[in-house]
Amino acid sequence: MTLSYVPDDTLAHRLDPRSKLLFQVGFAAAAYAYTTPRGLVVLTAVAAAVLGLAGGGPRSLWSYRFALPFLLVAPLVAGATLGDPWFRTDRAFETSLASYRVLLVLAVAAAYVRSTPVRDSRAAIQRTVPGRAGVVLGVGVALVFRFLPLLTHDLRTTREAIAARGGDRLPVHVRMRLVATAGINRAFERADRLGVALSARCFAWNPTLPPLAFGRLDGVVLAVSVGLLVVAVV
Amino acid sequence: MIELSGVTCRYGPGGDRRAGGTDPGDGDTRAGETRNGTTAGEGGVLAVDDVTLSIDDGEFVVIAGANGSGKTTLVRTFNGLVRPTTGTVAVNGRSVEEDLVAAREAVGMVFQDPRDQLVAATIGADVAFGPENLGLPREEIDRRVQAALAAVNLSGREDDRIATLSGGERERVAIAGALAMEPDHLVCDEPFTGLDEPARRSVLDRVRTLHGDGTGIVIVTHDLRDVFPLADRIVGLSNGRVVVDGPPERAVASLPGIDVRVPARYPPDTGADETGRSKP
Repeated sequence: MTLSYVPDDTLAHRLDPRSKLLFQVGFAAAAYAYTTPRGLVVLTAVAAAVLGLAGGGPRSLWSYRFALPFLLVAPLVAGATLGDPWFRTDRAFETSLASYRVLLVLAVAAAYVRSTPVRDSRAAIQRTVPGRAGVVLGVGVALVFRFLPLLTHDLRTTREAIAARGGDRLPVHVRMRLVATAGINRAFERADRLGVALSARCFAWNPTLPPLAFGRLDGVVLAVSVGLLVVAVV
Repeated sequence: MIELSGVTCRYGPGGDRRAGGTDPGDGDTRAGETRNGTTAGEGGVLAVDDVTLSIDDGEFVVIAGANGSGKTTLVRTFNGLVRPTTGTVAVNGRSVEEDLVAAREAVGMVFQDPRDQLVAATIGADVAFGPENLGLPREEIDRRVQAALAAVNLSGREDDRIATLSGGERERVAIAGALAMEPDHLVCDEPFTGLDEPARRSVLDRVRTLHGDGTGIVIVTHDLRDVFPLADRIVGLSNGRVVVDGPPERAVASLPGIDVRVPARYPPDTGADETGRSKP
């Protein structure tokens, strides 16, 4: 399953993307400021609620499965020492909290991606960041969101093609090499094709962007976002 | 009107088939220039060889030829996705090179694999993508999206996710995306490949309706069976050269040597075997 926009009529879908972006910033700041067991418990509840309000759930986090091994290994690496006592649990614990914090931030990001069309993200960025910087950033975000699902689809089909011909019995490092090689080739091909598709459809730096408008709900979300930022700073 | 004069497209000495032949994969590429670290020379792949052609507004033209005959490369010159090594292409009297946007508005393109063309998560967002890039007012974009979806029988499905659509539906979304640009000509590259019979019929019906409404249609195919009755004209390509050009009843008698499928009801004229495949 690839994380992407899912049309729906949830609370999160009805929010202005700028409110959601600010909320993400506030949440991340709070998570970094309160990387304590108690703080993370509260933030876990918030993240779960946000994901639920976007119509997502634990399955939405499956898209981040490639990041999970790193988050799990990080505490072990942090706790390891080259001499006696060989492993320091306090360091490992600290890093595990940090890893968990990253997971929570990713969960909130998943809620955003799930509830926000790419063009709305582009519009939010271009209207928030003035000038060419905003245009470049908006285009970059739009392209990344368009390209990544295609790339992950290609990687998945590559793995399936390898497995279909008995490749799943090969050693892991051989499979990794095969998938990486085919994946890079396909990424270049895909980039070419996406480029042609965008050219054919007159891709423009300044298209007509969708209208964005703050509603009453956005006021609440903005207030909470500012509150999180204040809590993080103070 | 689309006018090609002495158009030649040549690709690098390594014969980079992504740029020529059946699957040009590079936009805004001038054939013959440096691509992927190679420079095309006389020894490169000659995808299109000195083609002079004009297509009138409202005309239904079938570009026929075997795989690698240069069909896709040829039609991609119509809106500047591939720029010819030599020769000129003009749309509605204006050089494509001078006004790419106008050419791409006038010539809508539906790729062989619609997955290469669909860039948004939902049907509505994808169909709106082109008009948004033209900078049109929101009301006009909405009007075009509705009209394009109605034309392909997908009204009311703006919020459907593209990832959940069948092959035929994706083809129709790709057509709608091109139609939303309100083109004079709609170019469909192998539109029936990989579609089952109902999906083929559905796409064919849409194409027939569009032609009836005045849109010029260019179908690129190696299988003439579906489109033969609809065509005003058949242009046959072999090794990048136009070897047949005329109305179907005349062209079908001149198709030998082009490895294409023709309707089985024309075997005496075409030399086609029982499968409808023409004999060299």
